[in-house]
Amino acid sequence: MFKKIILLVLLIVFLFSGMVFAQVYERSETFYTSGTQWGPPSSWNPYNTGGYAMGTFGLCYESLFLYDPLTNEYIPWLANSGEWISPKVYELKIRKGVRWNDGTMFTAKDVKFTFDIAKTAAIGLSPIWNFLGSVDKVDDYTVQLKFDDPLYQELGWYIYNNPIIPEHIWASKSTEEVTSGIGENPVGTGAYMFEASDQSKMVWKKNPNWWANSALGLDPKPKYIIDLVNSSNNVALGQVIMGQYDLNNNFLPGIASIVEGGYGISTYFPDPPYMIAGNTAWLLLNLTKKPMDDVAFRQAVAHAIDVDQIVNIVYGKIVSKADPSGLLPIWDQYIDKALVQQLGFSYNPEKAKAILAGAGYKDVDSDGFVEAPDGSKIALSVVVPFGWSDWMESIKVVSRGCQAVGINLAPEYPDYPQYLDSKLNATFDMMICNDQQMSSTPWTYYDWMFQNPIADIATMQNGNYGRYDNEEAFALADELDKVKVGDIEGMKAVISKLEKIELTDLPLIPLWYNGMWSQTSNAVWTNWPSSAEDSNHYLAATWRGYWNMTGILMLCDLEPAK
Amino acid sequence: MKQYFTRKLFIYILTFFIAVTIDWLIPRFMPGNPVQVLLARASLHAEAAKEMYSYYTKAFGLDLPLWKQYLNFWIAIFHGDLGTSILLFPQPVIKIIMRAVPYDIFLLLPSILLSWFAGNKFGAFAARTKWLDNTILPVGYILTATPYMWLAILLGWVLAMVFPIFPLAYASSPAMIHSFSWIFIADYLWHWFLPFASLFMVMFGGWAIGMRNMIIYELEADYSHYLEALGAPRKLVRRYAFRNAILPQVTGLALQLGIIMAGALVTEVVFSYPGIGYLILGAIQNQDFFLIQGCFLFIIIEVLIANFLIDVLYIIIDPRIRIGMGGKSA
Amino acid sequence: MTKPKKRINEFLYFALKNKRLRVGLSVVLFFLILALVGPLLTDYKWDDYVGPAYHPPSYEYWFGTTTFGQDVFTQFILGLKASFLVGIIGGGIGTLIGVLVGFTAGYHGGMIDEFLNMLTNIVIVIPTLAILLIISVYLKVRGVLIESIFIGFTAWPWAARAIRAQTFSLRSRDFVDLARISGIRPLKIMFTEIAPNMMSYLLMTFILQFGGAILIAATLDFIGLGPTNAISLGLMMNLAVLWGALPLGMWWWFIPPGAAIAAIVGALYLTNVGLDEVFNPKLRKL
Repeated sequence: MFKKIILLVLLIVFLFSGMVFAQVYERSETFYTSGTQWGPPSSWNPYNTGGYAMGTFGLCYESLFLYDPLTNEYIPWLANSGEWISPKVYELKIRKGVRWNDGTMFTAKDVKFTFDIAKTAAIGLSPIWNFLGSVDKVDDYTVQLKFDDPLYQELGWYIYNNPIIPEHIWASKSTEEVTSGIGENPVGTGAYMFEASDQSKMVWKKNPNWWANSALGLDPKPKYIIDLVNSSNNVALGQVIMGQYDLNNNFLPGIASIVEGGYGISTYFPDPPYMIAGNTAWLLLNLTKKPMDDVAFRQAVAHAIDVDQIVNIVYGKIVSKADPSGLLPIWDQYIDKALVQQLGFSYNPEKAKAILAGAGYKDVDSDGFVEAPDGSKIALSVVVPFGWSDWMESIKVVSRGCQAVGINLAPEYPDYPQYLDSKLNATFDMMICNDQQMSSTPWTYYDWMFQNPIADIATMQNGNYGRYDNEEAFALADELDKVKVGDIEGMKAVISKLEKIELTDLPLIPLWYNGMWSQTSNAVWTNWPSSAEDSNHYLAATWRGYWNMTGILMLCDLEPAK
Repeated sequence: MKQYFTRKLFIYILTFFIAVTIDWLIPRFMPGNPVQVLLARASLHAEAAKEMYSYYTKAFGLDLPLWKQYLNFWIAIFHGDLGTSILLFPQPVIKIIMRAVPYDIFLLLPSILLSWFAGNKFGAFAARTKWLDNTILPVGYILTATPYMWLAILLGWVLAMVFPIFPLAYASSPAMIHSFSWIFIADYLWHWFLPFASLFMVMFGGWAIGMRNMIIYELEADYSHYLEALGAPRKLVRRYAFRNAILPQVTGLALQLGIIMAGALVTEVVFSYPGIGYLILGAIQNQDFFLIQGCFLFIIIEVLIANFLIDVLYIIIDPRIRIGMGGKSA
Repeated sequence: MTKPKKRINEFLYFALKNKRLRVGLSVVLFFLILALVGPLLTDYKWDDYVGPAYHPPSYEYWFGTTTFGQDVFTQFILGLKASFLVGIIGGGIGTLIGVLVGFTAGYHGGMIDEFLNMLTNIVIVIPTLAILLIISVYLKVRGVLIESIFIGFTAWPWAARAIRAQTFSLRSRDFVDLARISGIRPLKIMFTEIAPNMMSYLLMTFILQFGGAILIAATLDFIGLGPTNAISLGLMMNLAVLWGALPLGMWWWFIPPGAAIAAIVGALYLTNVGLDEVFNPKLRKL
């Protein structure tokens, strides 16, 4: 009897459940991505800069301009144009005919609101008010930014790196909601709208009324974009091989062999380094500690590291060695080649030993490691967060190189929070760090390298963790900020001076360029960006901040595979 | 009976209290600052970070004296408020856990219970004949000795990559959103199978061996010989033996529930299965105080409840305890 | 009471005759010898780049090489050593604590028993991962020793429960009552009457703790809470997974460590069953 009742209940459940319609997304109209989301999507607030769900800013919320790092061009997006109508006034002409995805018209009111709210709420844009005087709405489609002190490079960074938010929705939010609200049901102007999310994925649905359809003739083919939460390397690799991701932005070991292996997986370059360089991996040295405060010691370390080993063995050639100036390949035109030739370091253990000897470092107790000129023992550690497998292996190479020239350097792998703690509070000896991504200007790099005042570094969390104190460098970084965007020669002049300081003093040592990891599958979608002549040269990345560096254009160029 | 239960309940509550206090203490002994981590992940521009720092410290109540934080913790628990996560900011911890719990229940309950039943049945079989004993037992030993994650990854590799029969990861298809429908349930089960299988196989081995040993003990006890001498059918003797042998297995089940978390955590990580174990690992790696606390709180409650239920079960199964409670024990 | 020497002889006779014991013990011994002698067979350090990357097992590299050209055989041998260390130390500590707690609880009963019971329950219920997490944070460098100690201090409840149950049943046996009536002090009773009967049980408990410790260590290593300055079998598996060994076809990096653990621990359990049969003649029928 009991059994019969159970059976009956199960039967009813099944019949009932069969009647509920299941939404299944067609493979041919879905674009699968992965590589950004490290936990279930938890926020759709574009001001939650490090944690908003993949695509919140870029697919849903948009910016005034796009920036193309490979051609160094700004592409008008929500703004039609931006001009300095006087030395201190920047005028933005806002695009007409754009609608928020709830139907409301997008006007200058929203742009002014976006700038104004940065005054009251502490968000990414807030620092602009240090040099911005006021924002005026001239008419429904014109906004003027009146600066007290125009910092051109910095503005050039804000205009593509900031989401424009709808006034009619955000005006009623409290300051707390603005900075740390969840931001459900995001209303943006972008090509995609929120469809659904669950523990393992984020689903975006195409916005049928996207303004760029008519204004720029852009029409992204995928109807749905589904971003999957990151899993272990093992699983991600397996799924890439099986073509279950269309675009994957994880660091995946062995990608070189996968690309050659005939799985239909491609990367931007068909040959090493396969990936576009996205940021520089620096060896930070803590200049508040001995002997890191000795420039000779730093020079010796720089000459002791065999970066080729890291590039070839640890990374299997998917990265490339960094230029001694540390600047990314996209900024090649700013690198003062003559200066680098003259002052730049390279792998040269003999020279490293000579530098150490010349500066007074001798192995007094014959243990194989040198002591400081004053006789004190040297025992240093280089740290990276535990679990960052490629870095863990890389610092082994670094420490082996140093040990071979007599510097007692050991690799350590604290958990990420400890690593972060020692970085912010300058308790580390040496560490690897790659904070700054590619951007519209090398100024972001130098601002990071020469961040000041030193006392505030722990709370500002924006660079110079080695506590390098050089007034000249600080002043030059500020001077660079004041060079007009587009004034290549002006920028080169200042950058050259900055490079000289960097190359002679070596407050931090650039090792290699970490890639903008990007593996694409041609199983369902094709026409990916590549270095080939007949492909587009956009960025295939879903990482936060990359959609508006032409990621969205990459999306619009995709074609369904035959 | 009443006395037995009240005493048990008292002990459970005491254990709960102590365990929860330790749970609260744990994240606070970790050096480092969760607000710092949160801000670093936000990669805000300098000035904004400075302001947000004090804001978050207040918001998380980290600037209050320790005893006040402790008190607030208990008050909050009874309100069902477990704080805000740092890893998945700004989602509330209770929400995050609640979303993960169903996955855990669907994965763990069947694997624990089914492996227990099947393991005991097979273990009892094995004790019948020498031939069975020599085939089933080695399999049991090897299975129970296999590390969970090794088996999980192997299964994943063989059954999802080499022979693509099952999916490699996640709890449901990327192409589907939750719905209470045939297709979804079928898809869910299809994804569920490999994690379930890896847990099941290892636990099965353990129970099988345990049961086999217990049965053999019982079959050699005096009462068994006595019944045999009386001419009772072998089946009857085995049935009595089974009932006696099952008792320590029930205790074992209670203990198993406590440690299954570790195995499940690893399995969930391997298959990216979004249960609590998966959350814990992320919380640990990111020093998410509140999420760590919340997850462990759930585990503690889970284990205590399960233990309590098993104690009740024990009373039902073992008449000696019932009788022992009625009168005085020797 | 049979004379001790004759008992030992009798035990050895049955021990050597028992098939399960023979098989189990030989497997464990094989791996033990491999772990001890192994380091002599290889000149490399476990993380040195010694050869071509991704190389399958060959004459030069018996277990092949890793993503970076490290020798998998070296890693395997050194990992075995680490696993045995953890097993012996962790298992030993766990057994010791378990015996102390379980025996005291079982012998005295009453309030002491209740208290120890609660202590056992608390240790079971506390997620050991959480505690390990704190410890791992304070110790910059974690070694195999620390890991073993930690495991020993958290895995003893199993042993305690088993020993307690056994003590209970032994306590009420006639010969103990006899000793008590004749006025011998409780401590002496414990050592002279009860302990010898429990020897066999203790040995078996140790073997189980040994195997358990190896498994727990493998799990901890795998999620990254293991030793930071050494290689272990669990860490090998961790690295293999991190570097995508299986999808990239490097099965020789991932399969041997797990198989070795399964073999060793399985052999230990087999030995245990064999020992059980040797100590309890009643079981020898099957």
